[in-house]
Amino acid sequence: MVEPAIALFGGAYEKASHVLEELLRESGARYALLLDRKGFVLAHKEALWAPRPPALDSLATLIAGNAAATQALAKMLGEPRFNELLHQGATHGLYAEEVGELALLVVIFDNSAPVGRVKLFGKRAVQALEVITRDAVVQPGTLGIDHEYRDGASALLDELFGN
Amino acid sequence: MSTINFAAREINFKIVYYGPGMSGKTTNLRWVFQQVPQNRKGEMVSLATEDERTLFFDFLPVDLGEVKGFKTRFHLYTVPGQVFYNASRKLILRGVDGIVFVADSAPNRLRANAESMRNLRENLAEYGIKAEDIPIVLQANKRDTPDALPVEMIQAVIDPEMRLPIFEAVATTGVGVFETLKAVSRQVLSRVAAAS
Ligand SMILES: Nc1nc2c(ncn2[C@@H]2O[C@H](COP(=O)(O)OP(=O)(O)O)[C@@H](O)[C@H]2O)c(=O)[nH]1
Ligand SMILES: [Mg+2]
Repeated sequence: MVEPAIALFGGAYEKASHVLEELLRESGARYALLLDRKGFVLAHKEALWAPRPPALDSLATLIAGNAAATQALAKMLGEPRFNELLHQGATHGLYAEEVGELALLVVIFDNSAPVGRVKLFGKRAVQALEVITRDAVVQPGTLGIDHEYRDGASALLDELFGN
Repeated sequence: MSTINFAAREINFKIVYYGPGMSGKTTNLRWVFQQVPQNRKGEMVSLATEDERTLFFDFLPVDLGEVKGFKTRFHLYTVPGQVFYNASRKLILRGVDGIVFVADSAPNRLRANAESMRNLRENLAEYGIKAEDIPIVLQANKRDTPDALPVEMIQAVIDPEMRLPIFEAVATTGVGVFETLKAVSRQVLSRVAAAS
């Protein structure tokens, strides 16, 4: 099998969500997401005052691709890694940081949140999330997807794509 | 490996459309995007050059629905086919659960098909994956062109042992597009179910 998966549930998920919530509160950012390196959203939080976020799936995919490209560039230059990823426009900013080997933290903010604060609390959140995600790594085979699941999903494939 | 988010009760799979440049990978995704009802798909993201050549990837999330209380979702990706984009292609293979190899039926693309398959094997190997260990489904696309090669000839160069399932397609009109996607999805599901 390929890569271990991160399975966030129960207490681990609660803890991760809590870290994201704290991060939003302390930094004044709009949205905070925990992604896996493939671009799947593991957990996300939005500030109560923030407008509706853009499509999270697309966002996560682009950030994971961007982060992967950035790390490939670092390797080409002989660096083990580049630290964070920061994009800033006139009103919006995006900050992404690696969470261990398997995950990424993304913070989206506007100009009401100073970037220094986003980075400071972002890095603090990463430390907490690293511990949580490390404990949430499961080896394939313990995921509990069985034949009943497969048959159910298979029937849905026919429903969506025709026989 | 698939990602499971128990909290959100979601299971996600990653499927990558691979193959030489211009074989019809993006067209496959466009067809799926056009046909799947609004509530079962997300936005299609295309990172392409001005002349519509895929630069990094195309992306389309498809919602299968709920199975045993889990929302099941397939993330479809295409890679840029042109030879010099290999660094990007490699990145997109990360964590792949299943592959659709889109071959071009034109006689002058036979060699490009073979080279792309060899490149796929090399890139998988860099992730420590043997091509034999991951679901791969072949698609012979552009069957509508008058000089399309016999399917057996195409398969002979990309899969000499004739081990993999192959589907004929005309991606521009949707022929074979869903059949291919269903076949790879089924294999992915079976593989995960067998591992548990
Ligand atoms: N005749 C024909 N043309 C196709 C077919 N599928 C794709 N094309 C065309 O081939 C070109 C390249 O397709 P595209 O999907 O961008 O290729 P990609 O590089 O693999 O993503 C486009 O002009 C498509 O319209 C097909 O089944 N038949
Ligand atoms: Mg393309």
